[in-house]
Amino acid sequence: MAEYIVKENALRNFFQALTEGGQRTLLAPAKVGDKLQMVECEADKITLDFANTHQSPKSAFFPQTQKLMAFHKDTSKSDPFVYKPLGLDNMKPTVLFGIRPCDAKGLVVADKVFQNNRFTDPYWKTAYESSIKIGLACTAPGPNCFCTGVGGSPFSETGLDALAYVKDGGLAIKAITADAEEFLKGLSGVEAAEVAGEMAELKKAVEAKMPGPIDMAKVASGEILDIFNQPHWKDTADRCLNCGTCTFVCPTCHCFDIQDEQNEKGGVRMRNWDTCMSWIYTVHGTGHNPRPTKTERMRQRFMHKLKYIPMKQDGDCGCIGCGRCVTLCPVNIDIREVAKQMNG
Amino acid sequence: MSLPEINTKIQETAKRLLKEGKAEVVIGYRQGTAPMTVAPHFARTEDDCNQLVWSNFAKINLATYLPKFPGKVALIAKGCDARSAVGQVVESQIARENLYIVGVACNGMVDVELIQAKEPRPVFTAEEDMATIKLSGEGWSTSLTKDDVLRRACKTCVCRTPKDIADELIGAETPALSPDDYADLKALAAKSPEEKMAYFKGLVKDCLRCYACRNACPLCYCPVCFVDETRPQWLGKSQDEMDTFTFHILRAFHCSGRCTSCGSCEAVCPMDIKLREFNRILEEEVQRDWQYVPGLNWEQKPPLTTYRPDDEAEFIK
Repeated sequence: MAEYIVKENALRNFFQALTEGGQRTLLAPAKVGDKLQMVECEADKITLDFANTHQSPKSAFFPQTQKLMAFHKDTSKSDPFVYKPLGLDNMKPTVLFGIRPCDAKGLVVADKVFQNNRFTDPYWKTAYESSIKIGLACTAPGPNCFCTGVGGSPFSETGLDALAYVKDGGLAIKAITADAEEFLKGLSGVEAAEVAGEMAELKKAVEAKMPGPIDMAKVASGEILDIFNQPHWKDTADRCLNCGTCTFVCPTCHCFDIQDEQNEKGGVRMRNWDTCMSWIYTVHGTGHNPRPTKTERMRQRFMHKLKYIPMKQDGDCGCIGCGRCVTLCPVNIDIREVAKQMNG
Repeated sequence: MSLPEINTKIQETAKRLLKEGKAEVVIGYRQGTAPMTVAPHFARTEDDCNQLVWSNFAKINLATYLPKFPGKVALIAKGCDARSAVGQVVESQIARENLYIVGVACNGMVDVELIQAKEPRPVFTAEEDMATIKLSGEGWSTSLTKDDVLRRACKTCVCRTPKDIADELIGAETPALSPDDYADLKALAAKSPEEKMAYFKGLVKDCLRCYACRNACPLCYCPVCFVDETRPQWLGKSQDEMDTFTFHILRAFHCSGRCTSCGSCEAVCPMDIKLREFNRILEEEVQRDWQYVPGLNWEQKPPLTTYRPDDEAEFIK
């Protein structure tokens, strides 16, 4: 695959060109208030110097609130009270620049949930497949980063169309997919170059500074019920607040709740992020709740990430090691510690 | 007292309380697994007790856990934790005889958001004593004065040393601070309703509805929160501006005259929303109208949960 550089003084033009003359929405790391977020932004607002964005980029394809369909109540028209899909035929494709390799891998985990041999979610599919994802490799991983602990790498190419790293204030870029090569080669500021060798060296050097693999062999081979009934869950749950912070900042958490809302003119059906930490997530119409206490709810999240997803996705871990939950959990429930306990 | 001295004292006290049967569990903090974190810790054995620490990085109010423990609990309490525990007793959520408060003379907790604003480089290690926070990362280190990065709530704390409500106290009394003068609220009160609305909506515009504020709040012990009720469902679940706003306004009203300004809600908010702005307005009104400061007295009921036949308000007669 082709390799390129973009010199520092050509960056602005390059970022502008990524929108292909306004055909694509550019999402990139930029400050929103005092937080760095993956957001729609102007070329001169993009920053290259960061550990990771505060929230994961999942909302690019799976917004916290997404209106799926709508109906009207105007009986003078032909189709009152009929739900019609929203946004599928006019979804503007995106180009994500600066997504971290861990997050790109996280999107692949979510992609397998939204598109598989049983279901296809048209909203996710339309947004995800039309996007171009240019990753930015990590040369200075953050204090809570552990992608290398869960089968990833600061230079992982999974889920990306191209991978870049910062070189002399500009960028060095390697195309990963043929689409990306086609997309990149004519863009303003892009020059052909050889960077793969340097990239491989950097990868080795950065990986060497990062944590080693978390041993989850026994989690993989163990019986679900044995892990399910381990005594440590209750201890960890003691301090869990059952807030939704970990699930909402997690790049692979993908659960949602469907809600209908209406007024005198019509209504919408929307989906909103949901969280397995909440008791209402599982409560039945009868009032019975199969996850009655916070112990079961907290256990579910870790079982899902570390046992069920690997079972369903050929051994790939449901945690990609971005460290956001470690940083933001108000009571320091650390998935690395929980993984160790599960592995007994 | 230095941090290590406080730690030793806390650990000894916890062991003694377990041994004497004054508590089945001692709730405090232990060192966290990531820089600038501590974990709430539930000590039931001597080994557990050896992990108890005091830290400037405590986030949540430990009284939050009390209504969930049926047995005898000892709480390693900051002033605000102790006040909230008193509030829970006053509100009949926990039994006084099941609670043992080990007060610690506290000189405030730090605001990690503020630290990161002052020091945006990734922090790999943080060391602390009672007055300074030493941070280091790859190839750098720096030292911050703790008073410069205190949590907002801690700057106007009225109970740094919970000497009157604790069953025993660790550390010498901390010098008192001037209480909140609510000066900024007077400026806000002078604004037009539209400006106030814009201000409050602006405060919560980043809200994720994760409810960490609610779940970390020692007052939010309702078995079912109004936002989670489904029959009927009072509130939409989306990021709709009014639904989000309604959640925060209603929660603040539920907490009025009960909030001890611990700042737990702000400390846990993943989006760093200034949640106390809602509570402070009501706190000021309750103080002004009823001269009531919650959590300092075992008998006095919160004004909004009591009825008096001689109430001066007309509507209540």
